[in-house]
Amino acid sequence: MPSTSSALTPGLASFLKSLKTNAIDTSIENLISLLKRRQIRHSRSCATATAYLLLRVISACRTSDSAKLIERVQSVGRRLVAAQPREMVVGNIVRRVLGLIRDEAEDDREAEYALSEAGSESQPHTPRAFDDPSLPLDRDALSVRPEGSERAARSPLTSMFSLLSHPEPEASLPSTPGSLSPSGRLPGHGPAKDVRAEVLEGIGEIIDELGQVDDQIAAYALDHIHSNEIILTHTSSTTVQKFLLKAAAKRKFTVIHAESYPNNHETTHITVSGNASKDDEILSTESFQKPLIDLGITVILIPDSAVFALMSRVNKVILGTHSVLANGGLVAAAGTRVIARAAKVHQTPMVVVSGVYKLSPVYPFDFDSLIEYGDAGKVLPYEDGDLVDQIDVQNPLYDYVPAELVDLYITNLGGHAPSYLYRIVSDHYRKEDISF
Amino acid sequence: MTDPAAASQPGPGPSVNAAQPATETPTPKTLPIRDSQSAKGPAQPEQPSSKAKDATSSSSAGATAVASTEASSEPAADKPLTPAELKKKAKAEKAARRAREKGERDQAGGGGGGAGAGPAAPGAASGAGQARAPATPKKDAAGGAPQKGQRGVPPPRRGSAPVTQAGAVTAVEQKKKKEDKNVAVFGHLYGQQRRTTVAGAAKEVHPAVLALGLQMRDYVVCGSSARCVATLLAFKRVVESYTTPLGTSLARHLTTHLSHQITYLSTCRPLSISQGNAIRSLKLAIASVDPATPESTAKATLCDFIDSFIREKITVADQVIAGSAAQKIQDGDVIVTFAGSSIVKQTLLAAHKEGKRFRVSIIDSRPLFEGKNLARALATAGLDVQYSLVHGISHAIKDATKVFLGAHAMTSNGRLYSRVGTALVAMSAKERAGGVEVPVIVCCETVKFTDRVALDSIVVNEIADADELVSALPPHQITGLPDPAAASAAASSDPKKGANRASNATTTSDSLKTSLNTSSSPLSNWKETPNLQLLNIMYDVTPAEYVDMVVTEMGSLPPSAVPIVHRMSTNM
Repeated sequence: MPSTSSALTPGLASFLKSLKTNAIDTSIENLISLLKRRQIRHSRSCATATAYLLLRVISACRTSDSAKLIERVQSVGRRLVAAQPREMVVGNIVRRVLGLIRDEAEDDREAEYALSEAGSESQPHTPRAFDDPSLPLDRDALSVRPEGSERAARSPLTSMFSLLSHPEPEASLPSTPGSLSPSGRLPGHGPAKDVRAEVLEGIGEIIDELGQVDDQIAAYALDHIHSNEIILTHTSSTTVQKFLLKAAAKRKFTVIHAESYPNNHETTHITVSGNASKDDEILSTESFQKPLIDLGITVILIPDSAVFALMSRVNKVILGTHSVLANGGLVAAAGTRVIARAAKVHQTPMVVVSGVYKLSPVYPFDFDSLIEYGDAGKVLPYEDGDLVDQIDVQNPLYDYVPAELVDLYITNLGGHAPSYLYRIVSDHYRKEDISF
Repeated sequence: MTDPAAASQPGPGPSVNAAQPATETPTPKTLPIRDSQSAKGPAQPEQPSSKAKDATSSSSAGATAVASTEASSEPAADKPLTPAELKKKAKAEKAARRAREKGERDQAGGGGGGAGAGPAAPGAASGAGQARAPATPKKDAAGGAPQKGQRGVPPPRRGSAPVTQAGAVTAVEQKKKKEDKNVAVFGHLYGQQRRTTVAGAAKEVHPAVLALGLQMRDYVVCGSSARCVATLLAFKRVVESYTTPLGTSLARHLTTHLSHQITYLSTCRPLSISQGNAIRSLKLAIASVDPATPESTAKATLCDFIDSFIREKITVADQVIAGSAAQKIQDGDVIVTFAGSSIVKQTLLAAHKEGKRFRVSIIDSRPLFEGKNLARALATAGLDVQYSLVHGISHAIKDATKVFLGAHAMTSNGRLYSRVGTALVAMSAKERAGGVEVPVIVCCETVKFTDRVALDSIVVNEIADADELVSALPPHQITGLPDPAAASAAASSDPKKGANRASNATTTSDSLKTSLNTSSSPLSNWKETPNLQLLNIMYDVTPAEYVDMVVTEMGSLPPSAVPIVHRMSTNM
């Protein structure tokens, strides 16, 4: 019985499995309920689930009309975000996908405009391409408004071409002329480009990015960790663990690990000791990675309360995060803020490792709305049930850490100052998608 | 257990084993060691022992033999020993202790080299063997010994107190293994492991003190003031039951008699600053007793002194502090406090009694969860209580208007030395982003002031047993818990020792408890995991700039006034 139940535990794995077989609307509902019930919780799981769902949504959407695609993705995205507004990566992935569609649509239009310029924006969705400073400028030049009018003006012509080049019935479905696809190609401009195929490819790249992001971040580890360092970390973030593991292969240092009781201490204990005690439900691929201690790194596990006492000995604080906001602040596991504050007080550099996908264009006007509260039973066990009636038990899951407490962000694009993050945000998300 | 061991051993092993029960009365401590040593015998049978080693072991062997016979008779006839016998016993004990210490030192220094010396002297087994106890498991493993898993299993033929046996062995074993489990930075703080049983306590130690020691070790008596009061009360009983031996004066001998008690207490848990201050003034009072005064009068004076010390320095002081600190609370305040300080509790209750309406937010921490008791007390009194753990500090502090903290001690440089995590709360209050600073008020009796200074939390601190971190539940009972391996071994050998049912029951219940505590945690065998260290410190030092006010029975002061007040109060 336990074996079957563990296989059926709702989560990322079960969702991805069901995604292939279920109807698209069922899948959307499924993910919404998983998000609502917090059965998918970690940033990466949420991002992966969203990306796969959107991949499915777009491939099921039998149209090449970018406006329709955008509309469809927006409606799905709105529902997902409404299901769990604090899981900001969901919105981030939706925005990325929307951006992809828009880019492709613009590419096409540009191709129609001037054939010679078409090649310059071949793959704007890959992360590396965003380093190119010319890109945002190009994109900024093409603002949304003229786009709509152009499309309206050119639609009869392009629809004729699309009739020829795309013999699918959907493309010729009766609809308002303004919304028809501009995706048709002039003959002689290479192979006919399908927006949908391009977008699907782009989403595939996002999914790849989600898979590799930790390794990409870890590649910077040796630039930031020197020998004999004492590093403090908190929670069992896979990103941080991979980062440290990468450095541990070359250098010897000491890790002080705050156990992040009560929300993450069990996973932290497993991460630290490397032995999952029993066949736990958390038998993901992440738990199979080597613990730091196997590489000869001394790991000191401390309760969260001892952070201040030990901070004077710590050289560097390296933390993972839940999401990063546009102002450089971050929403991370509860307890991060005091650690960051203690690091500031002791002038210890604080480094946050985070994939770009956690970067959210949301600006935090109301910090409290970003914070999620968890199970009070973890703070006060059920043996103390009599107390629970009398007192108000709080178990915040996240902390908002202001940007001034962070010294450095390391993303898969490299190291950035917190003040630079807005630039990365504007590279990754389009203005028109920020509130979709 | 001995049977398979004997079967697997050629050579001298079995004969030694067989000889032992006949020749010596069973003493709990020496027994498993002897077994393991005899087991070790065949591994290096013809190893010549170094001369010096041999000499020490044989000389100490005689002493220990005496000690062991004495010890076995001790529980039966404790009091009615003649002074001569007493003296002899003390001597023997001392010799045994010295031998043990020496052995341990050898162990630490000698490493593998020392291994050869032991087994060559089977006659001198008990003395040297006792000393070598900690190393036996390691050596067994190193030598690829066939008798794995046997050690720790109490032999069924010896009925006496298998629990203490296991406890003693595990204590020593743990100590040995802990050597590389010490966090390097805190190396200076790992002194002796905390005492787990009353076994081996000096005979002068009063039963009240014995009990108190274990209570303090188990955090039953916890908190600086509580420990101070309990110590003084126990010492009062010591003084009451004290009779000056012939040929000495009370002023001289009582001090040394007390120092035995103090030594015992400090092996259970390092003494708090308040305890130290109280003991110092008690000793001063003893020393100033006029030798001419009759014993009964002197004792009455001392008891009065203790009573008035408790009353003045703690009971009344607490009332005064609670009264004046309660004045600082206003209607609508949100008070944040950390862990469970008794004086803060009194303050809050006093303010509540005055009819003030305020909210209390308690922040608690692993592994002691002291704030839970405070929360319960305040909630039953009808206060509005909010409870969260260290991870919620920044949320709790957000709408705080005042922070009240208890103290373990105030150092002379104005820093607050208190339960670990206090500094985080004070820091969060002072560094609140964008908001107004929240005043941090420390409630502290002057008996907790010390002339020591502290800059960080590393030089001066107390290391608690790291195993407390392994289980997620707060510790209910720690004393006398055998280590899991020994417990399971004991449980497995249950049918064999059906004779002694009482001890059997305690062993199984203990093992049950241990398994409940540790088996579920991935950290349960952290001691065997290389490179993994657990650190459980008790205190941290809050910088003086985070403390706005120290409320004492002498008034409310800035932290910089601590040394002056301390001088005033000690010079009185």
